[in-house]
Amino acid sequence: MAEISGIYVASHTPVMLNFPDRIPEKLRTEIFGAYKAMGNDFAAGSPDLLIVLSNDHLHNFFLNNFPAFCIGCAEQYESPIEHWLNAKRRMFTGDQAFGSYLLQAALEADFDPAFSMEMTLDHGSLTPLELAGLDPNLPVVPVLINCVQPPMPTMKRCYKLGQFLAEAIAAYDNVERVAILATGGISHDIATPRMGMVNQEFDERLLDLMEADDIDAVLDHASSQVHTAGNGAEEIRMWMAAMGAASGRQFKRTYYRSVNDWYTGIGIGHFVG
Amino acid sequence: MSNWRQLMPDTRAYLMGKVLYQLHHTEGDLEKYLDDPDAYLNRFGLEPDMARAIRDNDVAEIYKSGVNPYLLRAHCIGVNIPEDESLKALRSVLEENNHNG
Repeated sequence: MAEISGIYVASHTPVMLNFPDRIPEKLRTEIFGAYKAMGNDFAAGSPDLLIVLSNDHLHNFFLNNFPAFCIGCAEQYESPIEHWLNAKRRMFTGDQAFGSYLLQAALEADFDPAFSMEMTLDHGSLTPLELAGLDPNLPVVPVLINCVQPPMPTMKRCYKLGQFLAEAIAAYDNVERVAILATGGISHDIATPRMGMVNQEFDERLLDLMEADDIDAVLDHASSQVHTAGNGAEEIRMWMAAMGAASGRQFKRTYYRSVNDWYTGIGIGHFVG
Repeated sequence: MSNWRQLMPDTRAYLMGKVLYQLHHTEGDLEKYLDDPDAYLNRFGLEPDMARAIRDNDVAEIYKSGVNPYLLRAHCIGVNIPEDESLKALRSVLEENNHNG
């Protein structure tokens, strides 16, 4: 019976790695420090395994065949897939047994995810792991949610996916401690006329509602207002999944800043048990 | 405005997306494209205005085509279009009417 050692949420953007100098050094140091603090807290939970909830940004998947959900079942994952990403190539260890278990359990729980035995992770997974300084040998199992091309799974469905993850972790015997990192969001636009115009109000409201543990209001805000917060804000589906997995844990934001010159509302938080 | 110019890409947007995808994910394609953009683009049977928009790094027109914005963004970084140039082009669409398509 595995337990959850920690549930974290954190934004990701390739701009952090490719164009770090677009923001002042002091702010950059503050943001990178917030990721490192998350990494330290994460490590204190001594997880045996990490589920990375993220999204593929049209690198592994294209519009000829795009899954709503995809569970990684590989022995290892190379990263990054973007030839242009300013990051050192690295290999993440996978956990094929856990990925396969999760896949089977998902099907039995009436989810119908795709699976992949060969994925090259993109900046969505790599950036927060890199900035948090997480143990490179910690096995990861990617669970990817389509947030980049409508139609996408509903916010509520993603929340339920998170509930399923918590149940599946609790029923798994082969590791003791599993951490979850949900990456993406908050407000940002990718290659639209609004790019660089972060909707801070949307972000603050989301964080307030999450801290108030008002799940229905969070889901309503996420579903009904995401169109005001940018196509990149669709990635809060991963936050909804984290919230679903967090049953009984209190959400606390550890960092938020609206960073227009990185085009993103940078949010980091965790669910405290 | 909506987060998406096209909720479901039409075939024209799909085709343009296919070019941007293959260009950055097929081994050797970026080099072939940079070496001779017209010859590379001719392979795909694009309409002339679509091929022109890609060849000329016309970010505003590519956006307006309805191509998936993540493919456009990756292309901008991947072929080194300066950030401020991309942003300016995208902002120019904001000033137009019906920019949601």
